[in-house]
Amino acid sequence: MATTLHIHSLSKTFPGQVALNDVALDIEEGEVHALVGQNGSGKSTLIKILAGFHQPDANFVVTMRGHDFAMGSAVAAHEAGIRFVHQDLGLVEAVSTVENLALGFGYDTKFGSRINWAAETKRAKQALLDLGFDINVRAPVATLGAAARTGVAIARALQDTKEGISILVLDEPTASLPGADVDTLFEAVRRLTKRGISVVFVSHHLEEVFDITDRVTVLRDGKVVGTKATKDLNMDSLIEMIVGRGVSSVAANRTVDASLAPRLQVQGLVGAGINGVSFSVQPGEVLGVVGLTGSGRDTMVGTLAGALTRQGDVLIDGEELKGGDPRESLTKGLSFVPVDRLRNGILALMSVRANITISNVERNAHGGRLSHKEEKVEAAEWVKKLSVVTAGTEVPVATLSGGNQQKVMMARSFRLNPKVLLLDEPTQGVDIGAKEEIHAFVDQAAADGTAIVVCSTDTAELARLCDRVVVMYRGQITNTLTRASGLSAEKIDQLLLAGSSMATAS
Amino acid sequence: MSTTESTASAPQKSMLTRLGIDRLSALYLAGAFVVIFGIWKPDTFLSVASFKLILGENVAIGLLALAFLVPLATNSFDLSIGAMTSLSLCITTWLSDDFHRSFNMPAGLAALCGVLACMLFGVLSGFIVVKLKVNSFIATLGLGQIVTAVLLKISDNRQITSAYSKSYLKFGSYELFGIPILFVYLMIIAAILWFVLEQTPAGRYLFATGGNIEAARLAGVRTDRMVWGSLITSATIAGITGTILSMKIGFFSTATGPGYLFPAIAAVFFGASQLSRRPNVWGTLLALYALALGIKGLQLVVGSGSFWVEPLFQGTTLIIAVSLASQQAVARIKKKKKTA
Repeated sequence: MATTLHIHSLSKTFPGQVALNDVALDIEEGEVHALVGQNGSGKSTLIKILAGFHQPDANFVVTMRGHDFAMGSAVAAHEAGIRFVHQDLGLVEAVSTVENLALGFGYDTKFGSRINWAAETKRAKQALLDLGFDINVRAPVATLGAAARTGVAIARALQDTKEGISILVLDEPTASLPGADVDTLFEAVRRLTKRGISVVFVSHHLEEVFDITDRVTVLRDGKVVGTKATKDLNMDSLIEMIVGRGVSSVAANRTVDASLAPRLQVQGLVGAGINGVSFSVQPGEVLGVVGLTGSGRDTMVGTLAGALTRQGDVLIDGEELKGGDPRESLTKGLSFVPVDRLRNGILALMSVRANITISNVERNAHGGRLSHKEEKVEAAEWVKKLSVVTAGTEVPVATLSGGNQQKVMMARSFRLNPKVLLLDEPTQGVDIGAKEEIHAFVDQAAADGTAIVVCSTDTAELARLCDRVVVMYRGQITNTLTRASGLSAEKIDQLLLAGSSMATAS
Repeated sequence: MSTTESTASAPQKSMLTRLGIDRLSALYLAGAFVVIFGIWKPDTFLSVASFKLILGENVAIGLLALAFLVPLATNSFDLSIGAMTSLSLCITTWLSDDFHRSFNMPAGLAALCGVLACMLFGVLSGFIVVKLKVNSFIATLGLGQIVTAVLLKISDNRQITSAYSKSYLKFGSYELFGIPILFVYLMIIAAILWFVLEQTPAGRYLFATGGNIEAARLAGVRTDRMVWGSLITSATIAGITGTILSMKIGFFSTATGPGYLFPAIAAVFFGASQLSRRPNVWGTLLALYALALGIKGLQLVVGSGSFWVEPLFQGTTLIIAVSLASQQAVARIKKKKKTA
């Protein structure tokens, strides 16, 4: 096989962080090449450089079919025939396949600039048939199945064939696909490789890597761990390559009194992405929830907090929460810090003070009148307590850094003296210093007897914080790790990556 | 970093900020109008009568501006308030009408019915927005037409005159220490709204809802109630405006009411660039009366046939005020990006 893309000595330095360090990678003609690694391993940086979104550091050597290739240029990537399909397909859902394809390509017109719909339809139909999809190309894309939508996105990426397609990068294409649809997608991928197109396949689902790819390149901490033929690997050896033997951070040192009544009890929880989950958390215990996106981990906090609808029982100190109402949760002692601070958390243009007190403004009101003075004093105390770096309590919270915004969110929750605290990705987009401080607040809250649930994709964080970690897969708990049985980021990673294969085995 | 700190805490204020030109531009504008038209038309513009006229004539617009302001705090629009004002005026006049002996209610009771009718429509528009999840812009645009249909049916598209008692009409013409009583009503309602919006937890929840409805809901704010309540409030204020108009003009015509909507909205958006730089009560009234001074002055200068001055002036100032405000916002964002 001929080498399509040859990368050598590729590095990328962001201010204060080396994202890629001396990466070497060959993509052969007509192969399916998996690119795997944990969050932060450098995969997405590599993809973004390939797409021309980021510029690599100087002194790299990259050739495309033997010719020098200006890596880091979007125009060069396009002219070299490199195409991308991302997890977010970027389709216009309300219009048909025909129109979605034409959007990227331009319409075939007849005399007087009329669109030649017949020709357009024929072309779209053929493009999808080439990929193995026999669909109604005139129906709105929203009415198509998940696999067919991915097919449309691929067809759109491939249609501009003037220069000839060399590489198709599929970035997490199966993240939102049901199992049967994955097979359909893989059939399309196989058809592409027969045309000599190389496919770079980025996925967290390792069993899919074994299903479809010829070779695997593993990235860890910005370096290539190795490139191997898929058939020479098994699940265990691949996981070992991905996880490595990192140093686990110092774990929390606390004892949980198991003789006490559980503070939080969850029984038969069913909701968005969650399919029958039960667990309980003791006072002073920190429970971690881990799982891939779509496993139920990502909807756990919202479901427990009442932001999403649910069935099943959630009890705090034996008292049942009706659910479906965040306010009920907050007033009954269940505080939560939602994921995606910008969308669900902060009131960006309101002051730090207003953001801290919003869940209970009445506390500083007397006879219906709010005492701004009292409220300022209280907010200033919280700012001090959580060492929030801010120009004062009156500036808009949007002027703070991500970590400090997150501390404001923590202050909002702690202020309600919660019995149960739910944290969803508590340190996402937070710098290292603030991260450690936030972890210390969690320790303190646990020491005060709060039952805490942390949902996170950061396994080192879970190992640092948790007394117990449950692994979720397809809406259910498939594994539990306790501190007694040895809790480390590596162990969580292994269970997380193998979660799917274990669940199918059992 | 040092630049962000200095802009955030502003230890050395620029000349512009010290004079408050950026936050009080309406006040400076009003001053400029007084000087310009005072020199140009000293005998007509600079008279007690014309100032009284400006205060009294703009009360209805001011009340509707305040009505519009409340839902806007929650990021909802109420475009039905013009029609609601008409409805209230129509019902009040109709029920107290001499020629329909069957009702012939005391004017005070009739006025109460007018306000109540608007309140009920406010409940309905809240239901449409909160429960049926119709965008407030569309919901109130539609409801405004329905309200118009109701008042056209009642009035048969004719003027309704009423033999209001002299004492009732006195409520619209009285002067308190030389100040038109209508203006006093406006100030009372403004003070109440200012208190609720700025000095109570409810006000905080309203603005939180408007700031980010999902984040507010997750923080425990009853966002549905806030939106619903704000639409009932706006409809009620519109109803009160209608009854105040009945005291002032004493008859109903279909032309009264809808025309107030645009100047009211213009005042709110212009006012949102004043003081706290978000929709606020005193900024709105400041903007309203600055515009009113300009309109009055121009009308005096143009002389007869000057009807076109008002919409031209309101339209132009709205666009200029909002574009200036967004220029400022863009400049702030650019500055932040540079320092980040």
